[in-house]
Amino acid sequence: MTMVARIRQRLLQMHSLRAWFCLLGAAVVLLAIIPLSNGILPVRSALHLPDYLVPLLGKFLCFGLAALAVDLIWGFAGILSLGHGLFFALGGYAMGMYLMRSIAGEGVYRSALPDFMVFLDWKSLPWYWRGFDNFAYAAGAAVVGPGLLAFVFGYFAFRSKIKGVYFSIVTQALTYAAMLLFFQNAAGFGGNNGMTDFKRILGYSLQAPSTRLTLYVASGLALLLGYLACRYVVTSKFGRVLAAIRDAELKARFCGYESTHYKLFVWTFSAMLCALAGALYVPQVGIINPSEMQPSNSIEMAIWVAVGGRGSLVGAILGAWLINGGKSWLTAAFPSAWLYVLGAAFIVVTLFLPKGVAGAWSSLVQRRRR
Amino acid sequence: MRDGREGIPAGKLARSMLSRSPDLPPEPREKSPGPRKVIPFDPEARAAETGSRTAMTGHRPSKFILWVEEVTVSFDGFKALNDLTLTLEQGELRCIIGPNGAGKTTLMDVMTGKTRPDSGSVYLENRLVDLTTLSECEITRLGVGRKFQRPTVFGGHTIFENCELALRGNKTVFRSLFGRMSKADHERIDEVLETVGLSERRSEMAGLLSHGHKQWLEIGMLLAQDPKVLLVDEPVAGMNHAEMERTAVLLNRLAGERTVVVVEHDMEFVRQIARKVTVLHEGSVLAEGPMDRIQNDPRVIEVYLGA
Repeated sequence: MTMVARIRQRLLQMHSLRAWFCLLGAAVVLLAIIPLSNGILPVRSALHLPDYLVPLLGKFLCFGLAALAVDLIWGFAGILSLGHGLFFALGGYAMGMYLMRSIAGEGVYRSALPDFMVFLDWKSLPWYWRGFDNFAYAAGAAVVGPGLLAFVFGYFAFRSKIKGVYFSIVTQALTYAAMLLFFQNAAGFGGNNGMTDFKRILGYSLQAPSTRLTLYVASGLALLLGYLACRYVVTSKFGRVLAAIRDAELKARFCGYESTHYKLFVWTFSAMLCALAGALYVPQVGIINPSEMQPSNSIEMAIWVAVGGRGSLVGAILGAWLINGGKSWLTAAFPSAWLYVLGAAFIVVTLFLPKGVAGAWSSLVQRRRR
Repeated sequence: MRDGREGIPAGKLARSMLSRSPDLPPEPREKSPGPRKVIPFDPEARAAETGSRTAMTGHRPSKFILWVEEVTVSFDGFKALNDLTLTLEQGELRCIIGPNGAGKTTLMDVMTGKTRPDSGSVYLENRLVDLTTLSECEITRLGVGRKFQRPTVFGGHTIFENCELALRGNKTVFRSLFGRMSKADHERIDEVLETVGLSERRSEMAGLLSHGHKQWLEIGMLLAQDPKVLLVDEPVAGMNHAEMERTAVLLNRLAGERTVVVVEHDMEFVRQIARKVTVLHEGSVLAEGPMDRIQNDPRVIEVYLGA
């Protein structure tokens, strides 16, 4: 078989031709039509996308990427992580550190150090802040750092055969502990207030519409590539082994698969995706603080996936958008009702749509075909 | 899955009475060479022997394939295996029987790395590695396959995919992500599905198969895995008579090419397939030999057959 035929076959394993076209359509809408309607169309046009919506949509794209990460580990490997908020926040913190360094000398105290360090009477940067004035280093650290943490944590957790609800609780505890650590002023991450007042990224003003649009497109590209990577993983033999481990781990081991390695790989990969989402999120919202590590944030991510459809990558993204869209609208329209709606949505999905919105959709389509 | 133990041990009181007496069949340990002596493995000799499983030439260094040496396993003070020694010959079909709690499943757990023994060793083939130091998957890769008591297949995968997952080959993360199935792999799966009679249903979900078919699929998966030693735990549990006969034929066909060890409760089935039987009792070998001799051994009758 020639190389081209081989690649073609692999692509068709990932998606049917029709699904590829749907994906292409979605990519065109997200990465071309929406940006153009903001950038090219005149402000008075009915189809013009107002500037204030661009970062909001960009934020949704980041949430979509985080949902992919949670779905990969939960839906396909059966490991419920309640700690993905940590990886998301750590990615965000690494980006925040870069953004803080890029405004050195422009803070309230006109110091080369970030304001909160001046406030603490620190004279020099702590060692772990070194290098963060370099964008490439910060971007690398945003993904590799959380990945490393996930790897080490996963190595011990999976080696000790921690599974199911115990694993979920341990990840939740890890997140909580990290939150407490980041709340400390002495930790050197800005304590309670975290980091904010970002002004520019790579020299471009964060307030400029063009920068915001670029960040939106970057998030869209990350989501698209993240989706394709996840799809590649789950449609490979790796994905089948992962499902086998999820359904009958001992049997998979007796088939010769070192389940620990498989889980560790997918866990680390998932954490890195989530961290990437966090790194893209922070410049668009302009702040990062320890509340991103709240236990409820990680739980909310699991709810996105549950609502969207565990085990369906597209479903996870849709779930993230659905819940966050509802949140944006409801917290503005009926601020007190949001949490009730979220809780109710989770209950309804658990009781009536065990496979989420995506599962309900596909069973509807199947019934139609019959 | 229960963890090796099989309920309350039978005849705890009789333990002292049943300690080894001089008229026991020859100790397996005597046949096996010393524990540290390395016997080079000779694949050609193995291939030559596979045809005649009764050939007791004894000269060939590769006559044996598995040595279990002085293995002791205890759970909370209860000795599930007590200084057990057992040797398996190349290509033989061995039945292991014994009352509940005799240690049959624990023995399988030790041989496959699921349970670590307190002491003792298990050697395979060329005696270079002690299996008790390896993980389940490493042992599987060395060529020891295991069929569980309850049929375990991957219910969310098709029958074909089940075989694909079991197929012998490189099982690392990297290969799973970027590897491809070769034509030979496809042919091998076709052959296996033919053998177990599931060719027509290859794209059905394994979870929807009947109990008996699941058993065969699992045996098929083991064939795809192509082990040197095949451990089969209660293969006919829950099967009807016709299915049982078919399984007997299948196991007999498997032996010879590879070594098959069957743990079974169903005495009728054991009579059907067994050439050589090992009786376990309270974690040690009580008797070993041809089925007709075992059936008439008074101690065996006392602890097991008569009961």
